[in-house]
Amino acid sequence: MTAPPQPSYVLTCGDAALTAALRRWLDGSRLVWPGTLQLDVEVVDTLAPHTDSREAFPQADLLIQAGPPDGTVRIRWDAPQAEAVVHATEPRATIRMTREASAQLESAERGFLLVTLLFMLRRIGWYHIHCAAMIDPRGRGWLFVGHSLSGKSTTSALLAGQGWSVSTDDIAFLSDDGVTVGVEGFWSPIALREGGRTLLGTTGGIEFPRRAKAGFRPEELGGHWIARVTPEIILFPSIGAATSVSPIGPRAAIKRLIESSLWVLFETVHAQEHLDLLARVATQSRAFEATLGPDLFLDPNLFQDLVQ
Amino acid sequence: MKGQFHRHTDLRLTELAGEGVVLHLGERRYFTVNETGLTILNALAEPRTFDELVAAVLKEFEVEPELASRTTTDFLQQCIDANVVRVVDA
Repeated sequence: MTAPPQPSYVLTCGDAALTAALRRWLDGSRLVWPGTLQLDVEVVDTLAPHTDSREAFPQADLLIQAGPPDGTVRIRWDAPQAEAVVHATEPRATIRMTREASAQLESAERGFLLVTLLFMLRRIGWYHIHCAAMIDPRGRGWLFVGHSLSGKSTTSALLAGQGWSVSTDDIAFLSDDGVTVGVEGFWSPIALREGGRTLLGTTGGIEFPRRAKAGFRPEELGGHWIARVTPEIILFPSIGAATSVSPIGPRAAIKRLIESSLWVLFETVHAQEHLDLLARVATQSRAFEATLGPDLFLDPNLFQDLVQ
Repeated sequence: MKGQFHRHTDLRLTELAGEGVVLHLGERRYFTVNETGLTILNALAEPRTFDELVAAVLKEFEVEPELASRTTTDFLQQCIDANVVRVVDA
């Protein structure tokens, strides 16, 4: 059995338990980015007030500051308290977490730490996009791009059961291999809410009580995991009464891609490269608005028939 | 139109299917422009006069000078109104 690929990073942290947990999280992502990230982590009792007067952009339970004068990105998590400062141009961050924050790593990994990581990865040319990424049995790469509750995870699980290879059901990064633009999936179990599990008739999985979800490896569902997908087909899904697809042009597609890759608008560092990658994805792929209906569960290969 | 036209430094643009996709990073918004708009915004990679911009349009498209001038005027005015381009008196 081949060991999963390992990401490259240098992690300094005085807390042995937190170090082990962060290594598990980073190694578990199976992301193999170019270069090496540097994370300097400190556990503190309280965070000193900061003097950063830049406009704070709220994102879920985080506040993010970026831009001039120094180009750093400051990510703050206020309840519990943690703070990260990402270097202006280099893939390194200084992270300070209160003991309370370090005790809530499951939440941190989905929010504070993930956002810190994606700003670090911007500095090496990987750009976050909120999507599911898969390869069908004919070898074609698919992206399902959309917000939460648009059916990405349930569809990923359904298609894994049809032998599709799944890279991610939620978190991905655009990257350029010199020929095409691909999507690198952050490995984590396909996370299904109760409704999705009922539709699929699946039981078991790893419970994620805080998220009210259960996670399944693609292999548990009949599929495979794959690190990278080169998109040829992009679907922008929503839930509806019956499954259908409708082709859209590159202009409509890139608007939807920008909405799912919003950090392209947030800071000037690499914004042009990020935008160019989105445009190339829109150009190299055929794009469709898709409605996902209950009939998909009777005929999971419907997509392949609708998108010839 | 008089003066020198400057593209906002927070702008990033790329070509897609003959059109332009434009990000305004300072205002965190995006929009698309047609191929004429893309030609003008590309020409504004450095400050330009109105006549230079009309010349860029005439070089790219087979149109009468009067139409190129009117199109450039209209587009520049929209860009000025949208804080995409500013004009500096010569």
